[in-house]
Amino acid sequence: MKAFAYFPGCSLEKMALSYHQSALESARRLDLEFRELDDWNCCGTTAYFAIDQLLSNTLSARNLALAEKLELDMVAPCAGCYKNAYFTNVYLKHDADLAEHINEALKEDDLHYSGTIQVYHLLEVFANDVGVEEIKKRVAQSLNGLKVAPYYGCQIVRPRKDHEEVEDPRYFEDLLSATGATPVNYQLKTRCCGGSLLITSRKAAFSMARNLLQNAVDNGAQVIATACPMCQVNLECYQQQINQEFGAKFNMPILYFTQLLGLALGAAPKELGFGSELVSAASVLSQIQKKEAGK
Amino acid sequence: METRPSFYDEISNMMYATHGEPISTCIQCGTCSGTCPVVEFMDNTPRDLIGMIRADLKDEVLASNTYWYCASCFHCNVRCPARIDIADMMYTLKRYSIWRNQYPAGVLGPTFAETFVKMILSGGRSYEPVLAPAYIFSYGMQGFLNEALTATGLILKGRVPVLPPRIKRLENFRRMVGHVVPVSNLVGETE
Amino acid sequence: MSEKVGVYICHCGSNIAGVVDVEAASKWAGELPDVTVARDYKFMCSSLGQELIENDIKEQGLTRVVVAACSPHLHEATFRNACKRAGLNPFLFEMASIREQVSWVTSDKAVALEKSKALISGAVQRVIHNQPLEPIIVDINPNVLVVGGGITGIQAALEIADAGYHVYLVEREPSIGGHMAQFDKTFPTLDCSACILTPKMFSAGTHPNITLLTWSEVEKVDGFVGNFTVKIRQKARKVKTELCTGCGICEQKCPKKVVDNVFEAGMGYRKAVYTPFPQAVPKYPVMDVQNCTFFQKGTCKACEKFCPTGAIDFKQEDTFVNVNVGNIILATGFDLFDARRIPHYGYGRLANVYNSLEFERLSNSAGPTGGKIILRDGVTVPQSVGILHCVGSRDKNYNPYCSSFCCMQSLKFAHLVKEKTGAQVYNFYIDIRTPLKAYDEFYQHILEADETRFVRGKVAEVTDAARLPGEEGKLIIQVEDTLIGKQRRIPVDMVILSSAIEPRHDSKEVAKLFGIGCSADNWFIERHPKLDPVATMTEGIFIAGVCQGPKDIPQSVVQGAAAAARVIGLINQKQVSLEPVRASVNAEQCSGCRICNNMCPFGAIAFLADRAVSEINPALCQGCGTCVVACPAGAISGSHFTNTQIMSQIEGILMVGLGQLAVPSAEAAPVAR
Repeated sequence: MKAFAYFPGCSLEKMALSYHQSALESARRLDLEFRELDDWNCCGTTAYFAIDQLLSNTLSARNLALAEKLELDMVAPCAGCYKNAYFTNVYLKHDADLAEHINEALKEDDLHYSGTIQVYHLLEVFANDVGVEEIKKRVAQSLNGLKVAPYYGCQIVRPRKDHEEVEDPRYFEDLLSATGATPVNYQLKTRCCGGSLLITSRKAAFSMARNLLQNAVDNGAQVIATACPMCQVNLECYQQQINQEFGAKFNMPILYFTQLLGLALGAAPKELGFGSELVSAASVLSQIQKKEAGK
Repeated sequence: METRPSFYDEISNMMYATHGEPISTCIQCGTCSGTCPVVEFMDNTPRDLIGMIRADLKDEVLASNTYWYCASCFHCNVRCPARIDIADMMYTLKRYSIWRNQYPAGVLGPTFAETFVKMILSGGRSYEPVLAPAYIFSYGMQGFLNEALTATGLILKGRVPVLPPRIKRLENFRRMVGHVVPVSNLVGETE
Repeated sequence: MSEKVGVYICHCGSNIAGVVDVEAASKWAGELPDVTVARDYKFMCSSLGQELIENDIKEQGLTRVVVAACSPHLHEATFRNACKRAGLNPFLFEMASIREQVSWVTSDKAVALEKSKALISGAVQRVIHNQPLEPIIVDINPNVLVVGGGITGIQAALEIADAGYHVYLVEREPSIGGHMAQFDKTFPTLDCSACILTPKMFSAGTHPNITLLTWSEVEKVDGFVGNFTVKIRQKARKVKTELCTGCGICEQKCPKKVVDNVFEAGMGYRKAVYTPFPQAVPKYPVMDVQNCTFFQKGTCKACEKFCPTGAIDFKQEDTFVNVNVGNIILATGFDLFDARRIPHYGYGRLANVYNSLEFERLSNSAGPTGGKIILRDGVTVPQSVGILHCVGSRDKNYNPYCSSFCCMQSLKFAHLVKEKTGAQVYNFYIDIRTPLKAYDEFYQHILEADETRFVRGKVAEVTDAARLPGEEGKLIIQVEDTLIGKQRRIPVDMVILSSAIEPRHDSKEVAKLFGIGCSADNWFIERHPKLDPVATMTEGIFIAGVCQGPKDIPQSVVQGAAAAARVIGLINQKQVSLEPVRASVNAEQCSGCRICNNMCPFGAIAFLADRAVSEINPALCQGCGTCVVACPAGAISGSHFTNTQIMSQIEGILMVGLGQLAVPSAEAAPVAR
């Protein structure tokens, strides 16, 4: 039973509750233990970087220190939280002065950062740690050919961490294939959804989301699977407005990959937060159940 | 004779935390701008902006909406042949523009960022309802109504928090942040 | 008997004198024991400076000379020659570097003077123990080995052969010709590449002074300049060349088609028994046993059945030949950058993205499409073509260097495409690099005549994800047109990547085989980048062509000729003098442990079993000193670097450091271990 320190991030409390529920349910079914950090704080997302980078690092450092207390590697479902925690961890490990400065601040909460843990994103934990073979074995209800657009988004993939493939990663597709779904060729899979531009530069964000939706449609996707709450909101919650703006007719369900994974592992839709979508996922569920009936 | 650092020097020095190469090594190839997903909404392309910084065109740079439109998707970073941390440069300009209180009229980024920071300090976690006033009134009537509609939809689906969050050790958290930035007068207090 | 040492301290203009008080140093040196005369002078390396030394040797009967100046690397030879001219053995000279080691590394004058004194003292103490040595003269074998049968190797081989000396030309492919044989037209003249290359190939193939060893590789290199012994593996062609007439029937009858990934760059097919191209030299085919039906399944043998002279020999084995040569020229060329490393350009994923060699084969009238520029479907003629410069070059994520000829190559491609298809051509560049003769004129011609659209911007991505009208079914090039500051999406039918060139994948191993070095980018290292680009740090081994660094055909030919001229010059001298810095084993102290045997990088140490001692061959020894240090019994000493000499130098330095000017005599200096 592999255990991780689980850092949900602000969005998973309410806005992306279905991600939280489906993540924990999928983890449970794959013998992963996710222990939530006690009293974690916001990671600061991109907004804090616009004010002060050290401030952002301090916020993430507190969460890292909390994870170190559990003596477990950290896993974050949100791409933004993940990126902040990952790079703060890297900087603190390599810069002793910075670590000293931040540890002074952490003393206020009786915490200390020692650089003893690693940070992972939820997608890589399922795709790499658990692995495709293991998932295949545990599939109880194959998604049988459901056409899924694997939307990585930007913060999981970039900035480059080691020498890994950043332009054409494949682990999301492999994960989806393991569940029995058919990942479509999604050229814009690592293009940005606009992130917080949704609020500050709405037109730009709409344009970016529209391109992503159109590309998914062009490639025959029935659903877009995401691994970040911001991406999910940008792609799903504003489809009406995007349709208005561009005269389009998008009606694309946007689900978290853990919801699809959870279904494949045999969980019921309710256990995976289905029902809170603005764009109905009924077509996805009926597609899977239809195949089920036909089996 | 006293010399003040040039705008180019200031920005280069502020990119202290970047793990990329200095912007002096930019060969103006345009890969960043060719890659940027937001570039069509920017006054100047990222490459152009680097050129302007190197020419010490401080006012023009700060008046350009480019850096506040950057989504920090890091695509330019991974493709730049000179390995410049362009996203970090954009963040540097964001910070500089808030510090100098000099940015284009109408950009919502500064207010949004400041509001966000204050929001986190007040509870330790995000609370969307508090953010809305920071931007919603600049959307115009149609935009306001659309946003209200979307928000209503989300509320009905139970996706918007009702009560503001409050982490248990909020006081410790605030004191911790105080080591980095004075909490009481966090932002908006410029020269 | 004490020696008479002359010490000369150079000002080097203000290079040294600006930091080191040379007059004080000179005065001080004059007081040292055994120093007969000490002078300082503005430029010791000048003829007047050297005359100072020569006159003092003759008039004062100096027996040792020390010059404190720049570095031995620069002027050791100069001052040794001065000694020689005055009748003093050149090895009775030592140099103290007070420029590179003192005046160029500190501005503290007090510290500089002290360190200079220490170095001078060390040099004086050391030189007292120097022994006169005579250079080792060896004969130069007039044969030459040229490795690599591309245009550079061919050029070098022909020049040496024409000069009357014998050349072994080794080439790992079945035919000589190299990459140039693959090209269509060459810039700036638009000469057909094969037309200008094949006459040289033919000359090389028929020259009485050239022995072609194709389908061969060098396995081992022993020896030293003037006397190399090289073991060459001749891979089995499975064809008896003495019987083969090159009629080509075997190739015709062979039923097995294989994608030709080498010559045709994957664009066409060859057979399992094949010659790479019709003008191949030599004309003998080779058999690809990985794909031959007989070797894989045990059936067929059609080639054998139909060969009119019975030249097919399935049992043929690799053979080895040892050649003795005096000099070696490496002209091993380059590999093309694998553009799959840039996924966002779509090479290998999007059908109609081509790399440069693929396009050359497409355009070549002897190529797989007969010279028609058509898309991968084999039918469609492109109506718009994008040519990308700097693919994998000038990019810290791949290769930081510029590949030198690809701007001209891209202009050439633009011209060929326009000429053959009338398509609208776009060139995407960062800079246009056209430095050599008639190159910029070529660029001007393309600008004026061909309606090529030049877009200054490095392409961000090539995609098939259509977004705007007119993009459906096309390859979309997304780029910033930097001259107007806007991102553009340009739909085209075909994309050509001017990819970088890289050192051969095995260049490091090859360098090691020949005892030369590679740069950080893995090109072979020349002796001096400005003034000696074809020589290496290893005597007798030369490099030429792209293996030394990216360059075009005219520059490659020049380097091939330059290397040939150097070699011919050496051969004409008939003898070469080698530094007499050699190690030798004191047989009485040798315990026969043989630790030194395997340490020697030059294989110069042999074990004499009957006497149970090791012995060093002075001809092979290069004086590196490894065995001297390795010997646990201290039985090996290196001439001109004896323990006494080195210890005395150290003591000379320390005596100044410790403030003691009196130095013990040579006999009292113990050999500390």
